[in-house]
Order: sequence, then structure tokens, then C-alpha cells
Amino acid sequence: MGNLKVTYTDVKGETRIFDDVEEGTSLMELAKRQGVEGIFGDCGGGCACATCHVYVDGDWFEKVGPPDDIEFAMLDMVADVMKDNSRLGCQIKMKPELDGIAITVAPSSGF
Amino acid sequence: MATQADEAKVSDRLPLTADEQQLLDKGTLTDRAIQARPRPYYTAMRKGDPIHYDAGLNSWLVTRHEDIWAVQSDPITFSVNKGYHEIQARGMHDEFRNYLRTHGGGYFPDAIMSDPPYHTRIRKLMENAFTAHRVKELEPRITQVVSDLIASVADKGHCDAVKDIAVPLTIRIIVEQLGLDQGIESKISRWSVAVTAQISAMQTREQMLENAAQIAELQNYIIGKMKEREAEPREDMISDLVHAQVTNADGTVEKLTFEEAVSLVRATLIAGNDTTATAIGNLFYVLTTKPGMAELLESIIDDDRKLNRFVEEHMRNEPPVRALSRMCVKDTVVNGTTIPEGAHMLLVYDSGNDDETVFPEPRKFDIERSNLGRHVGFGGGPHRCIGVALARMEVKVAAREIVRQLKDIKLAIPVSEISYVPTVATHTIESLPITYERR
Repeated sequence: MGNLKVTYTDVKGETRIFDDVEEGTSLMELAKRQGVEGIFGDCGGGCACATCHVYVDGDWFEKVGPPDDIEFAMLDMVADVMKDNSRLGCQIKMKPELDGIAITVAPSSGF
Repeated sequence: MATQADEAKVSDRLPLTADEQQLLDKGTLTDRAIQARPRPYYTAMRKGDPIHYDAGLNSWLVTRHEDIWAVQSDPITFSVNKGYHEIQARGMHDEFRNYLRTHGGGYFPDAIMSDPPYHTRIRKLMENAFTAHRVKELEPRITQVVSDLIASVADKGHCDAVKDIAVPLTIRIIVEQLGLDQGIESKISRWSVAVTAQISAMQTREQMLENAAQIAELQNYIIGKMKEREAEPREDMISDLVHAQVTNADGTVEKLTFEEAVSLVRATLIAGNDTTATAIGNLFYVLTTKPGMAELLESIIDDDRKLNRFVEEHMRNEPPVRALSRMCVKDTVVNGTTIPEGAHMLLVYDSGNDDETVFPEPRKFDIERSNLGRHVGFGGGPHRCIGVALARMEVKVAAREIVRQLKDIKLAIPVSEISYVPTVATHTIESLPITYERR
């Protein structure tokens, strides 16, 4: 059990707070473990699909930083729902600097 | 009583033309002509009967994108384990299994073709070998392999794009990745065909036994390699799989059994080979038959974003894996159609990617589609292709090297003479003679 805090708003708009997140856990893994709606993580955290797409709220994006080229290529495949603060949850690992981070699950691409 | 995936949701059926109705009534995916050129059959199903019982195949064909998505998102109701293992050597599986027990070191069920929670454990043990970042590190080496291969045929001015480029290309890469022996390539090609044939439902008994003999040879070979790596690990994927372990949240450590590892090495060798070769064969097909494609590829070859999108649109437009199986474990209503318990189903990715409600003008090759990631060419849900990053990379590097080294690529036979491998599982060109000039 860790002690880092994550505020997760799921794809239906429901907000849940997790305050026992361990360092090193990715936001995708956390969502899968907790059943956060809208996060699927099909590829298992390999940055090879875009089913753990999240928006990083407010100033937290500065701390998280932008996606690298490989991650951007995946986000670009869901361009219709991509925003400036888009990231893949599997590529954000929790660490003390991100304690308190707030994120929102992006809607599915393309219907 | 049937359970209902989503009771409220029944989407419209559309009126069919007389020709479409006839195709729906008489058509079957076991017909080789339909297998080769299936789009009219798919269209008729998508419009009029989106989850269609194909009597010739004794299988329910799921053809609309939304229904494929729903089915693949429910891996418990729609079992891959049963869908895959029961269609394998269909009607003859006892004989198939016994043959492998006697001649092939054992019958090793495909550990990855399983259902959660077992499947979740297997995926976790395999995933590290396949991340996009790991694959990116392989790019220079993959480029070298592909560049050398294309250079070896560039001066000839003609070749078979499938047999001389696509097939050896993907085999050479997987031989390197797994750490197999150089010179084993022609055997791998035969083994791949045999494994794919076992799930195609198109075999006679004699063919099944011939294919089983190939699979036995394959298993004996990989078991030998795995024993070597067990004793002495190297920097290759066989060593990764033989020694794979993950630590659970509660501190317990998971490993693969030897039987599981055999099945996974076999699956990696075949899945990472045949399907990617098909994708590259199909790339030559579209470059030589679809107007403007060669020019489009040439114009974007140095634009990484557009090239990634080109590859993804190619996977949507010509998915190498046509359809994969599920078995429905209880009476279930999907989008108004009741699928009985025990029914065999095929998720027809090829049709889902052509669904005009998701991809407008689906036959148009459009690299700017904003929802490209929604295509089902790699499947989706917990069974989404594990080698997706490697497949993308191989197709991308192939596209780049084709443009760098060849020009004026033309089909050397009429389109109507292109023949396809007789299988419902993939849409694979058997042979594609082309001419070209060295750039």
C-alpha cells in the first residue's frame, strides 16, 4: 500500500479519489485495478493502443510533461478526442511529485 | 432464458437489393471465390443481417463494427479458448492431438488463446517483450534486414512480392528476434502455413495429418531451442519466454510452465510471421492496384506522423487477419440476434473495418481519418494483438524501404488472376508477381 493520491474522473463523469496509490503504479494499472470506467488498457501498458487515454487536469500537465514520439503516435490515432493535455495512462507512473494529480478519462474515439 | 448484452440496443437493419439478398441466402465463407473477394458478401450481411449464420461454415459471422466491439469486450461470454481450440482441426481434433502427443513432444494448447483470468496471467508474462518502446529499439536492425532483402531483388526488375519479399522478410525478423538458426527460414514458412491451416476449417483428413506432421516438426525444433536457453539464456525472445516472470501486487511470483512456454514460442513464431507477411503482401497489392497509392506513399515517406497513419490506414483498409473465432458460452442476445450456447462465431474484422457508420467512404484510403485507432484490424479488448507494435514497425520499415529502393512497381498478372490462401482466418495472397525498376 502506498500513500499517493489520485483523483480520477471516469468517462461517465463520476469522480473517485484514491489515496493509497503506490509509487511506480501507472494510471492505467490503477484504473484497471479499481474498475474506473472507460479505461481498458488492451495492450497491457505497452504504449501500443490508445485505450487508456486520459486528460491531465489543470497545472498537473506541466508536471507530467508531454508525450514522447511513440506515445504521440498512438494518441494521434484517436485525434478526434485528443486534446493538448492528452496522455496515455499507462505511460504515467505515480511518483511523489504527482501526489494529488487529477485526471479525466477521455471518451472513446469515433462513433 | 437468454441474457441480453444490452437490451435497449438494436440497430437498424437496412433493405437489401435482390442480388444482396441472394448472396445472403446462398453465400458462404467456405466458397473460395467469396473468400478471395468477400466485400459484397460482407456488405449484404452488414446491411440486412449483421450477425449472420453462415450455414456452410456452421458459424455466426459478426460483421458490424459495434457488434464486433461488444463481443470482443466480453471475453467471458464469448470464449476464445473454446472458439479457438474447438475449431482447431475441426471434426478431427482427437486425432490431431494424439498425433502431436506421439510425434510432436506433446499437445500444447495455446496458452494465449484462453479466457480471463488465466489469460490475464499469460498476457502479463508476455507483454514486456512487445512494448512499443522496446520495438522502437529494434528499428535500426529491422531496417537493415529489410533493406538487404529488398536490395537483393532490386536489380532483377521483377520478383514475387509475396514469396521473394513479404514472406522471407517477416521470417528473417522473427528468426532474429526469437534467436533461431539462420537457414531455418524455409521450414518456418511451411510450419506457418500448417498452423494457420489447422484453424481454417477447410482441411481434408489427409491435409490435417500433413499439417500435423509439420507442427510436430516445429514443436520438436522449438523444444530443443528452449532446453538450450533454459540452461543458458541469451539476448533473445525464447530466453525471455523461458525465463519470464512477474511479481504480483501481493509479492508472489508468476512464471510460465514449460508447456505454456512451448505454446507461446510457437504462437510468437507463427502469429508474428504469417500475418505480418500477409500485411506486406497486401501492401504491394494496394500499391499496384489502387490508383494514387504509390504516389501517396512516396509523398509522405519522410513524414513520420503521416507514415504511421498510412500504416494504420493500411491495417484498416486491408486487415491481414480476416476473422477470428469465439464460442458463445450461453444463449446471448447481441444487437437483436440470439446466439445460442455453444455456437461458433467469427468476428469479421475485415467487415468491421468497412463499416460505413464508423469509417465514412470505407473503400477510400484516407490517412487523415480522425478515428483511425478505432479499427479492428488488430482485434480489440483483452485479446488485442500482443505483437501490434512489432507488426506496425515491420510494415512501416517495409513501406519506407520499398519507396527508397524501387519505383514504377507494377502488377505482372491481371488482378483477376490473384489467388488467395484457402482459409477464413486470414486474407492472404498466395503469389504476387510484380515488375519494377531500381530507384
